[in-house]
Amino acid sequence: MIRNILKKGISAKSSRDILSSKVETIRNLLGDTSVIPPNYRGSVAFTKPIPQMITDDIASALTDVCATRALSVETTAGDAGIALDRSKCILCGRCKEIAPDLIAIGNWFSPSVKRRQEMIVTSSVQGQLTEKSVEETGIELKIRLRRTLGRSLAVREVDAGSCNGCEVEITALNNPYYDIERFGIHFVASPRHADVLLVTGPASSNMEIALQRTYKATPEPKIVIAIGACACSGGLFGDTYATTGGVDKVVPVDVYVPGCPPRPQALLSGLLLAVDKLPSKSESRISEEMKK
Amino acid sequence: MSGNVNNGITKYTSIITEKFGEHVESISEANMNELHVTLKQLGNSPKICEFIYSKFHARLSTMVCSDERRVDGGGYTLRYVFSMGDDDNDVFIVVTAKVDPRNPSFPSIALQIPAAFLYEREIKDMFGLTPQGNPDMRPLILHEEWPSGVFPLRMDFDISTKIPRVHKEYQFIKVEGEGVCEIPVGPVHAGIIEPGHFRFSILGEHIVNLETRLFYTHKGVEKLAENRSLEEVLLLAERISGDESVANSTAYCQAVEKIAQSSLPKRAEQLRVVYAEMERIYNHLGTLAGISTDVGYAYGSARLNILKERMMRLNEAVTGSRLLFGVNRIGGVTVDVSDEVSRTVIDTVNDVQQDFEAIIALLRTKSSFIDRLRKTGVIPRKAAKELGIVGVAARCAGLDIDVRHDHPYAAYSEIRIDQQHDSPRNITKYRIEMQKRVGDALSRFEVRVEEIKDSMSIIGKVLRNLSEGEIYTSILQENLKPYRHALGYAESHRGETMHWLMLGEKKRITRYKVRTASFSNWPIIEQAVLNDIIPDFPLVNKSLDLSYSGNDL
Repeated sequence: MIRNILKKGISAKSSRDILSSKVETIRNLLGDTSVIPPNYRGSVAFTKPIPQMITDDIASALTDVCATRALSVETTAGDAGIALDRSKCILCGRCKEIAPDLIAIGNWFSPSVKRRQEMIVTSSVQGQLTEKSVEETGIELKIRLRRTLGRSLAVREVDAGSCNGCEVEITALNNPYYDIERFGIHFVASPRHADVLLVTGPASSNMEIALQRTYKATPEPKIVIAIGACACSGGLFGDTYATTGGVDKVVPVDVYVPGCPPRPQALLSGLLLAVDKLPSKSESRISEEMKK
Repeated sequence: MSGNVNNGITKYTSIITEKFGEHVESISEANMNELHVTLKQLGNSPKICEFIYSKFHARLSTMVCSDERRVDGGGYTLRYVFSMGDDDNDVFIVVTAKVDPRNPSFPSIALQIPAAFLYEREIKDMFGLTPQGNPDMRPLILHEEWPSGVFPLRMDFDISTKIPRVHKEYQFIKVEGEGVCEIPVGPVHAGIIEPGHFRFSILGEHIVNLETRLFYTHKGVEKLAENRSLEEVLLLAERISGDESVANSTAYCQAVEKIAQSSLPKRAEQLRVVYAEMERIYNHLGTLAGISTDVGYAYGSARLNILKERMMRLNEAVTGSRLLFGVNRIGGVTVDVSDEVSRTVIDTVNDVQQDFEAIIALLRTKSSFIDRLRKTGVIPRKAAKELGIVGVAARCAGLDIDVRHDHPYAAYSEIRIDQQHDSPRNITKYRIEMQKRVGDALSRFEVRVEEIKDSMSIIGKVLRNLSEGEIYTSILQENLKPYRHALGYAESHRGETMHWLMLGEKKRITRYKVRTASFSNWPIIEQAVLNDIIPDFPLVNKSLDLSYSGNDL
């Protein structure tokens, strides 16, 4: 319904454009944006309820093969189970090679979350998540932005030591296929203009101060989104002399987007979750100022 | 890997033995194309390095330091790796010298071989060995807030140590004079790019001096590799620089396969070439789009970005990863292509090529586009040579450096990278063509356009003639003995990436030295922007397409 109304608005606008510039902009260049190839490694999931199915051998083999220690053995009430921390998972798929009947690699991406704990999956069956297409997510974003902000959303990207994989995907959001400016999201050149900081990388020690300063320079209410496994948990680079082990060790994080790197759809869904947080943040900001 | 008999090695062995026999402890061949010259005394290394550099027209490919205090003999070991540029010899000469841990210093070769200056500063930071005679002793990787006496790559340094901060100031080079201003830029930039600091000294709009301060994304890749298993480090190699994942993982796998003395099935080598060229295409397209953005021509960048996205979608459809993560494995590749997939790849690439040629033809007619590129960001050939520049940056200045034909790996020995190499007459023509390249942004633009077309034709050729067989082989585990080492290399879209790997006990790694093309090419930007105006800097930077992560490790 809403989509049809929006579509009408856009098509009316574009016919005006066609008249003035004699160029017709193709609305959905991709044809179908939501198609994700079946072999895309988007998410790791357990196929069975874990505690009763797993032997010690398999558990230790799985924890050994996982380079980022995303898989760990958990003992709850005498039952040894295995837990997956999606914030650490870099989706190499090696666990599936060891236990193909226990682990599945899905071509859907893991959902973004507001708290890191929510990314730890224990001993449960994970069904396929319904995935929205870029169009659907984008239009939902646009509507929510109009409702909460009444204007577009300004985003600043900060690389805190990433391998530049996440940057490639964030840049892709601006290409004509995704073109997220049409949903009212635009990238700005300074943190002083931003509502949202997209932070990538494990927050390297050399970037720690710069990241803190960027955070301070961003006006309230501000949202920080950690993009990718490195930003969520340190990822493959962990917590070492040269890294801090995740963006939330340096600045408060509101939304975590897992993946290595997250595909553009996943980035959009992370932004959608962030917009959710904006009203409560601005209210608390107003009430704080009222107290003063 | 190279042919069976390497004539070059014999030639170099005899020359070096004749000239420096008394200083050389041993001289031996390894891994088909490495000639190891071990010196009796550290003090002789500048003399011999300079001889190899100037007499054989060699290029300093990398400089490796390793902490071998626990290995027999003891001490730190320095290895100067030279790539021979003389004839068509596929040879690396590795000059090896030991540093006594009681006297942690070594003679600098930076004044004779300028390419060495950054390696020496790196070794000073990471190992605490002082390069005696290097004019620049400022910290490089460990920034000013690191206390002195921290040497992360020494074996007794624990990776999880947290280092307290100290307060110190970094000394930038001061340019003084009437009307000279300084502009600090970064590390957080305006665009969606990686972090780094640039300090411009300007007179009016003109850049008088530029100093780059990098290593903000240093995340300890080399240290992380220590004591890790071979499989785990492969994941790390892919994430040295996300957009170069195939090149870096190929170089890494190659080093392991050389240590294991295992050769790959034909099909695996051919598929590595296909994936490497797919990587080159999408990245070059992205760079050309970026150049178009920085010139201010949005239409061109939109069209090129569409092609980049199409290539990334192809990557994903074939391998499951838009950035080609996880395609390589030790002993081969993980993803096979069926006949149907191979046809899809060829068709998609053909489609993209048609669109690509149309948009390039259009760009060439836009004088406002071409004028911005012409004579902007000129790389002088002499400086490029001295600083050891590789890849597109070298080729745009008329230096014919390409690992794919200098030191053929995977299936590249059977593929002519540039078809103009075929006959002697064409070689002359090709050389004249190289001489015409003047090192400006326009040359880089043209080189990239040609390389995209080349890569497309390589993909077509390889896929049409794919050999039957396995896509990987189990490597010979019994050859993975402690303290064996090998070089691995590949030509990424940025240029030569050079990996050096040494095994330790229990098939774990003791030292993994990575030098990507970005490390070699960053210094040239300081030369290239001189006398350009400030607004041209983003354009020059983009046309060089350097990775921060690949540099900072």
